[in-house]
Amino acid sequence: MPVNAQFLAELERVVGPDGLVRDEGELSTYESDGLVSHRSRPRAAVLPETAEQVQAVVRLCHRDRVPFVARGQGTGLSAGALPHPDGVLIVMTRMNRVLDVDIPNQRITVEPGIMNLEVTRRVAPDGYYYAPDPSSQVICSIGGNVAENSGGAHCLKYGFTVHHVVGVEAVLADGETVHLGGPALDSPGLDLLGVLVGSEGTLAVVTKVVLRLLRRPESVRTLLAAFDSTDGAGNAVSDVIAAGIIPAAIEMMDRTTIRAAEAAVSPGFPDAEAVLIVELDGPGPEVAAQFEQIEAICDRNRGWGVQVARDEDQRARIWRGRKAAFAAMGRVAPSYYVQDGVIPRSTLPEVLRRIRDLEKRSGLTIGNVFHAGDGNLHPLVCYDDAVEGQAELAEEVATEILSYCLDAGGSLTGEHGIGADKACHMPKMFDEADLATMRLLRLAFDPADICNPDKLLPTPRLCGEVPGPYRAHPAEAAGLAHRL
Amino acid sequence: MTEVVGLRDALIGQIDACAGGAVARAGIDGDAVDGVVPGVVAEPATPEAAAAVLGWASEHGRSVVVRGGGTKLGWGAPAGSIDVLLSTRGLGAVEAHRHGDLTATVQAGAVLADVNAALAVHRQWLPLDPPHAERATIGGIVAANDSGPRRQRHGAPRDLIIGMTLARADGVTAKSGGIVVKNVAGYDLARLLTGSFGCLGVILTATFKLAPAAEASRTVRVTLSEAGRIDRVAGALLAGGSTPTAVELAWPPAAVLVRFESAAAGAAALAEQAAALARDAGGAADVLAEADEAEAWRRHEARVFEGEGTIVKLVVLPSDLSATLAWLDEASRARSIECALAGRAGLGVLYLRLAGPVPAQASLVRALRERLDPGRGSAVIRQAEGELRSLVDVWGPLGDGFPLMRQVKRRFDPGRILNPGRGPGGL
Ligand SMILES: Cc1cc2nc3c(=O)[nH]c(=O)nc-3n(C[C@H](O)[C@H](O)[C@H](O)COP(=O)(O)OP(=O)(O)OC[C@H]3O[C@@H](n4cnc5c(N)ncnc54)[C@H](O)[C@@H]3O)c2cc1C
Ligand SMILES: Cc1cc2nc3c(=O)[nH]c(=O)nc-3n(C[C@H](O)[C@H](O)[C@H](O)COP(=O)(O)OP(=O)(O)OC[C@H]3O[C@@H](n4cnc5c(N)ncnc54)[C@H](O)[C@@H]3O)c2cc1C
Repeated sequence: MPVNAQFLAELERVVGPDGLVRDEGELSTYESDGLVSHRSRPRAAVLPETAEQVQAVVRLCHRDRVPFVARGQGTGLSAGALPHPDGVLIVMTRMNRVLDVDIPNQRITVEPGIMNLEVTRRVAPDGYYYAPDPSSQVICSIGGNVAENSGGAHCLKYGFTVHHVVGVEAVLADGETVHLGGPALDSPGLDLLGVLVGSEGTLAVVTKVVLRLLRRPESVRTLLAAFDSTDGAGNAVSDVIAAGIIPAAIEMMDRTTIRAAEAAVSPGFPDAEAVLIVELDGPGPEVAAQFEQIEAICDRNRGWGVQVARDEDQRARIWRGRKAAFAAMGRVAPSYYVQDGVIPRSTLPEVLRRIRDLEKRSGLTIGNVFHAGDGNLHPLVCYDDAVEGQAELAEEVATEILSYCLDAGGSLTGEHGIGADKACHMPKMFDEADLATMRLLRLAFDPADICNPDKLLPTPRLCGEVPGPYRAHPAEAAGLAHRL
Repeated sequence: MTEVVGLRDALIGQIDACAGGAVARAGIDGDAVDGVVPGVVAEPATPEAAAAVLGWASEHGRSVVVRGGGTKLGWGAPAGSIDVLLSTRGLGAVEAHRHGDLTATVQAGAVLADVNAALAVHRQWLPLDPPHAERATIGGIVAANDSGPRRQRHGAPRDLIIGMTLARADGVTAKSGGIVVKNVAGYDLARLLTGSFGCLGVILTATFKLAPAAEASRTVRVTLSEAGRIDRVAGALLAGGSTPTAVELAWPPAAVLVRFESAAAGAAALAEQAAALARDAGGAADVLAEADEAEAWRRHEARVFEGEGTIVKLVVLPSDLSATLAWLDEASRARSIECALAGRAGLGVLYLRLAGPVPAQASLVRALRERLDPGRGSAVIRQAEGELRSLVDVWGPLGDGFPLMRQVKRRFDPGRILNPGRGPGGL
């Protein structure tokens, strides 16, 4: 049933006049997330203040089969929070309270609209922090992080959002509220929390989150080294891993992104083909011993211009250069397209070589900044909208890079998610049986298909009727099994 | 009788035909699961053949119980009849060890100890140390999301798994995740299957992120005159910046084992530091290395996991540890039950061994559950004789998420052929 005046009146009764946005102009605020190339306007947006209001809104949607999409801060980079044109957008930003801080058990319970960095701010005086630190941590919500299973520079050692969420309260597509997990570990039953994290808002609307807090490490040491080639830097990374060291972070930037960062925030990086940022944390003596090893490895791989952060200010300066890399690209190109493919770390030299060939062939500048420790690339394909056809070319180039990642055994996305943006690429990574199995899960949660539909999995509406390249399963090829 | 045998031989023939080779045989007493002898045992040698066996079973509505090492098939609800026991013993390969990427792909039937022996060639390991590592299989460990003391540092299987191939109940093979450590493409079915006790699908292969093997290890053994000091000692040890790989509690009498693993000098220094902290907090502490250390850990595991009897997995918030021990002390005395406990002091995940009159054990489990609100703790019977399992539900309350779990089971296994009744909550 379409969203009509009566439905809007019912929504208004739930969230109040102040919580309902129906004006076309005001709705344009919510047209896109961080990926502005995808736009669409919802029929209405609601800004609930309580879990009960979320539940009441979802109940109405379920009753009338109206699609709904949850939205956090709208910083997502895969059009996950793209509104449904016939549906309701549930904006979670007003639900941003801290509900409970439990330091003895290293837990904090928050509403999902709270900013990521705010969580750490609340517990920092006690010597604790919340580990996942996306570069967007000052502007993105915990609810968005849960939905995307967001990572950060420090996930090499500390893992992703899924490793730090121990419980949620969520409203299912039929309006039922469930509690999965909790402050205590190992709640008996299927690990539905484990699949809800990273489900891109397609399984439920999260209304409460219990997070694990970590004690601040005793010692942190950060080093920056320059290299004459990305291969040299890549070899240093391999040597670090081979030495049995798991740094808190290893980040790599190439010449293009170094220059951009320099132009934007002047972190004082050397003008080199590549820089590595390596951070170690842990008990003092252990960090000191490993730091010596890292310095020796950089040396052995002809690293130069080594900068060691002497204090928190210098450390912050190095990280400012790294975290500004995306935004800084605006200094060297009018527009850019960020890709988020992942490769097995050991294939880095080969994949970078292919990207450089592509750069030459396409004539577009491609900056590379990446989480080198875990193989998550962020190629930035630069283009100029004013030049006819360049935007399309950039998108083709970005898609080509994804195919290099898949060829190397990697993934379409390491942290930004599939969303609406890459749903049609899913058949390149997963065969029909894989996707059908994922669909079983979605059907279990949302048989009416109203919870953020047309995201994550390819649908005919989104991708047309072209099915992905069909690959027969080995058992099938051998005549052992038959598809139903 | 001959008719039954004839029928069974026919089934064996059908399964072999589907699997493309001789994989099935008649079940014998030694195959009994929880006292129930399966009609047929199938032991496929390839993941494809395993999937084909399932395809056959679902087409014919036959129930399948999956067996890895078979070390804990006595868990969960008592078994009904079993048409096919699907053994993963033939799926034992380490398919790939990408040491440069710190990942490995392993078939479900591989035994953990063998896997780790193979990975040790490159000084790496799959950092899981559940009980009975020399017999438990990767599939069984993942299906039970089982872990051991080093969970404190390395997490449980659900934290380490990055990809999986699985056979659905209808025999269709599907994969989730991949071989890279960072990956958010698609639903994380590998995590869904982890801890599902074989009720949603059969794990064929699993891919994990690995850890470098530590150069050296030291363990601090702290003994406490009063159990009430546990919170304080464990708290002091964890609040220091020392990052132990394990912080284990044993009781009674109350003792804490704290393990440090890193470069040689580092481990020793950290252990000495922790021993000093523990003494300040009121314990007696000594530092163990080499054979003494190994022996201390062997005895710690044996304390709960060796032999028959009842084992309850008890989870509480770490801040409730002391109160829980005090309560257990009194409640077990009042019921004439002997009880011993070991587990993760830093995480609140404990294993409780009970011995004594079965009705009294049942009463203790019920009383324990009454103390625990959903999400703030649980008591699940992991191993017990049938009598106890008939007196008290093995899982206890599963909370308001259970109807949804049922929906997931219904979608993945509509014919309810897979480990029927043995999944969480009897799924
Ligand atoms: C400059 C910049 C840098 C970035 N750096 C990183 C990085 O380093 N690492 C990283 O992982 N990401 C990064 N991102 C991406 C983005 O910030 C994350 O994906 C973030 O988690 C999105 O949070 P949000 O609140 O903005 O969510 P939104 O964009 O509003 O929504 C994202 C998804 O979450 C769903 N959602 C939101 N709230 C809820 C809820 N309460 N219940 C259910 N579903 C919900 C939405 O439906 C949508 O599918 C970056 C983005 C930018 C713009
Ligand atoms: C509380 C507790 C008590 C324990 N008690 C004992 C004990 O008394 N004796 C002992 O020897 N060990 C015991 N263990 C250890 C346990 O056996 C191992 O940790 C391991 O998890 C079992 O692996 P397995 O290969 O033997 O699994 P199995 O016992 O064969 O199977 C375990 C479960 O996983 C399922 N499964 C197995 N393989 C697969 C697969 N490939 N795909 C899907 N599902 C599968 C089975 O159907 C079953 O539900 C205990 C562990 C704990 C935590």
